[in-house]
Amino acid sequence: MNFTQADLAISRLIKAPPAAVWKGWSEAEHFDRWWIPLPMECRSIKHDLRPGGGFETLMREPGGEWQPHMEACFLEVVPGERLVFTTMLSEGWRPIEPWLGLTAIVTLTPEDGGTRYAARVMHKTPEDAARHSEQGFADGWGTVIEQLGKLAAEW
Amino acid sequence: MVRHMANNHASLDLAFHALADPTRRAVLGRLIEGPAPVAELAGPFAMGLPAFLKHIRVLEESGWIASEKQGRVRTCRILPERLRATEEWLTGQRKVWEARTDRLAVYAETHLATEEQP
Repeated sequence: MNFTQADLAISRLIKAPPAAVWKGWSEAEHFDRWWIPLPMECRSIKHDLRPGGGFETLMREPGGEWQPHMEACFLEVVPGERLVFTTMLSEGWRPIEPWLGLTAIVTLTPEDGGTRYAARVMHKTPEDAARHSEQGFADGWGTVIEQLGKLAAEW
Repeated sequence: MVRHMANNHASLDLAFHALADPTRRAVLGRLIEGPAPVAELAGPFAMGLPAFLKHIRVLEESGWIASEKQGRVRTCRILPERLRATEEWLTGQRKVWEARTDRLAVYAETHLATEEQP
């Protein structure tokens, strides 16, 4: 175990060009389709891709009420290449007490006709672990359902 | 259940607070290799024993380590439960991002990649 930081790094080779992956991130209509796992629904209310731009999502269970999911601020935006946001700030770099303190760096690099997608997520130490682990539960549950769905399709 | 979860979170807060200090991280790094007397643990650090013992106390109170005194020697050892709980928390966060990345990959490959082609 690494004691230095509560950081994590994800890397994937996506079989789609960086422009397509970027579209999935940059256009709210597409972003809302993958950001939160099914059966939860996601709705972007701010998706302003520029430094200082607001980044805010709502979520709901099927048939449920919309509720806050994440509030954040974009720090750096290089179209097709790189995106940095933090939940420690809201729109216009205004400091907030986040639901979950993190800064994420997303990079897209062309590779083998597809995209090397990398995300580095730096967590504030989880003084807010309570809320985060609920989120983890929601996401984990969605994954389980997704997997069940895939299995069901094979039966 | 709710109470249990609240306690769990409070104890995670303590666990991460304990990790926020380089001396304490170094002590944990050493103790992963095996138990060690306080005097040996304090050796590499340029601080007085009272100051060092405060760090030991923080690690004990947060559940990272336990210590036992035999004669004049206090020996510290790491507590695997805390290590596991904290690892599980981080593993949980990793799963969230892994799953999120999988969803983006599938979405981009099935809905966006073809649109890009003329």
